[in-house]
Amino acid sequence: MEYFLSLCTTGLIMGVIYALMALGLTLIFSILGVINFAHGEFYMLGGYASYFILSTFTGLHPLLAVPLAGLIAAVIGLVFELAFLRPIHQERIERPAEYAILITFGLSFFLMNLALAVFGPYPHSPPSFFRGSVRLGFMNVSADRLTASVLSLILLAVLLVVVNRTWVGKALRAVSQDKQAAAVVGINPLAMNTIAFALGVGLAAMAGALLASSFLLSPDVGAVPSIRSYVIIVLGGMGSIQGSILGGVLIGLVESLAAGYFPDPSRALNYKTAFGLVIFALVLLFRPRGFFGRKEA
Amino acid sequence: MKDKRIFSLLMTILILSSLIAACGPTPTPQVIKETVVVEVEKEVEVTKVVEKEKEVVVTATPEPEAEAETILIGGFGPLSAPGAYQGGIEMRNATEMALDEINEAGGVLGKEVELIFGDTEGLPERGTAVTERLITQNKVVALTGEYHSGVALTEMEVAHKYGVPVVFAEPWADDVTAKGYPEIFRVAPSIEFYSSIASNYIAANGWEKIVFVTEDTDYGRLQGEGWVKQLGALGITDVELIYADPATEDFTPILQRIAQDPPDMLGGVITGIGNSRMVRQACELGLAPTAETAYYATTDSQYPEFWETVGDCGQYTFFTYVGLPKSLWNEKTEAFMANYEERYGQVPGGVAMEAYDATYLLLTAIEQAGSTEPEAIIEALENIELTGVLGELWFEYGSHNPVPSDKPAWMWHQWLTPNVFILQYTEVDQSVDEAAVVFPVERATGPLYTSP
Repeated sequence: MEYFLSLCTTGLIMGVIYALMALGLTLIFSILGVINFAHGEFYMLGGYASYFILSTFTGLHPLLAVPLAGLIAAVIGLVFELAFLRPIHQERIERPAEYAILITFGLSFFLMNLALAVFGPYPHSPPSFFRGSVRLGFMNVSADRLTASVLSLILLAVLLVVVNRTWVGKALRAVSQDKQAAAVVGINPLAMNTIAFALGVGLAAMAGALLASSFLLSPDVGAVPSIRSYVIIVLGGMGSIQGSILGGVLIGLVESLAAGYFPDPSRALNYKTAFGLVIFALVLLFRPRGFFGRKEA
Repeated sequence: MKDKRIFSLLMTILILSSLIAACGPTPTPQVIKETVVVEVEKEVEVTKVVEKEKEVVVTATPEPEAEAETILIGGFGPLSAPGAYQGGIEMRNATEMALDEINEAGGVLGKEVELIFGDTEGLPERGTAVTERLITQNKVVALTGEYHSGVALTEMEVAHKYGVPVVFAEPWADDVTAKGYPEIFRVAPSIEFYSSIASNYIAANGWEKIVFVTEDTDYGRLQGEGWVKQLGALGITDVELIYADPATEDFTPILQRIAQDPPDMLGGVITGIGNSRMVRQACELGLAPTAETAYYATTDSQYPEFWETVGDCGQYTFFTYVGLPKSLWNEKTEAFMANYEERYGQVPGGVAMEAYDATYLLLTAIEQAGSTEPEAIIEALENIELTGVLGELWFEYGSHNPVPSDKPAWMWHQWLTPNVFILQYTEVDQSVDEAAVVFPVERATGPLYTSP
């Protein structure tokens, strides 16, 4: 029983962080209608930004670098959205769907190679939030990972409040439901696009900064989280915030339990991701829109 | 009217291009009937390649190097993901450094040597394409480098097809040299030799229950299978292999599973960032290194970034080091280490040493051969004796001295005394130079194993 509970704890801790990462992607998709293929690279950028900030300002507590990393990524995202994505919504691009894929892929390669050029190929890590492990009843949990999980929960809660209770949040939801109707009531859809993109990549960067001391940094560190995020947002329902949270936690739990209980231990870790995909396929089979996906009008 | 002008312009460009191409020194291949392609030069060497559908492609290999101002050398290795680009970049740096030194000293055969380095991304298909391009398009006279065994095994087929000599720097698969290709030489250890050092070390410590979490690549699988076989021969049969994608972020669930029945030794055979992740996560979980469970990490632990990424968890870990520990450095090693660090701002690892020596071997062979002809280079390599940063280098077995039937086939064109050691970090923040050499015992600088 202790073993089962320890695996569940590991899965839940990871699931919450996965949810935070996926949330940014779903936010961007629901508002802009664009799949951000550079999402993993913003995660990586957040980690490196945190590393850079803490290397430069050595007296700073590592926790303070998290919002700063999010802010840096949000500014970069804002500039990118204004320069490269806004033309899509101004109907200045002939083939917007293909353009969006290519431009975000391009950004992905650019950011990855930029990190390689600036920070080099060797792994790095910002200082730990808190060193060592914490004893949670029957198991040791990394203090860094626990901190990342708790902060992710707080960020998720703050985001839900912003989206549901503030004017900007309501405006974002309105744009995601119907751009024209939102415009009629005085909401500027283009401004909301920019806000959503900056916020989305900022969340990815904060997830990256939160996990950098646990999962470390290298230029290609964003690849796996970004693929997992795509799975989570489809699982939860494209564009659904609640769905992303539920999807993230579910994937975290499935990965952990599968690695812990798969009959052949030699394959257990290798198939960890595949089990997430099996759940993904099963959910889509019985509920093609995902957990909270909206019906097409 | 405008369209007509554009059409005229395009036609003019097309005609001029055709004229330039026709007058140029290297005619473009002409397709004759079905799939017969012929390149014509004054001196023509013809190679026939019969494809599956009985198409015959005839190409001509010109001999531009005979009158070229420079000698072109090809390099290959992973410079980007998914390959182990840390190793690839280090390899390229060391090769460039060797070339610059040789050029400053007057070059080879009185000519400057140039390097064209291809990024294989750690992918076998890219390795094939890169080698094909280096040989047929760039016209390199010889090749060096490569990190991944799986990629090297495809590259060597291309090199063998064209008869171009290769000195491999880092791939370990036995088959790289076991195939007995005349063009293929290697300074890295074979996997059998490499694995035997760790196997003997495990046996010497009396550890009986062993678990390896090994990356699911040719690198990890070859090592894992080698250990199971060699440890079995040493009477250690409780050996478990767990495969993992090298990009795995979180090993915790499988480590929790292993912790249900902790082994005497846990090995994390994951390259790059995965090495540090494993060390850290096993340590944070309280699994290893502990008094009960020793921890074996990969060669990537030699880099200074290891301590930045694992912190205190790195203490008491041990790893196999392919290279020369400081206690065994010669004058060349000292100069190389100092120059590399000054030039690239990084302490070089064993990969850099191997790549540097592989480059020197190749270029010294060309100088000694007095020619860039493949046969002459191969003959010179077979008879070479060179003091490199790794020590005395030579190839015991080859066409000049065939591998005896009682010796393993991988000894063909293989440097037989590659430096493979087990090092242990006994203190936090130790550099690789300060780490204790714990095995082989006769060259050890510290006790066999220091337990937490």
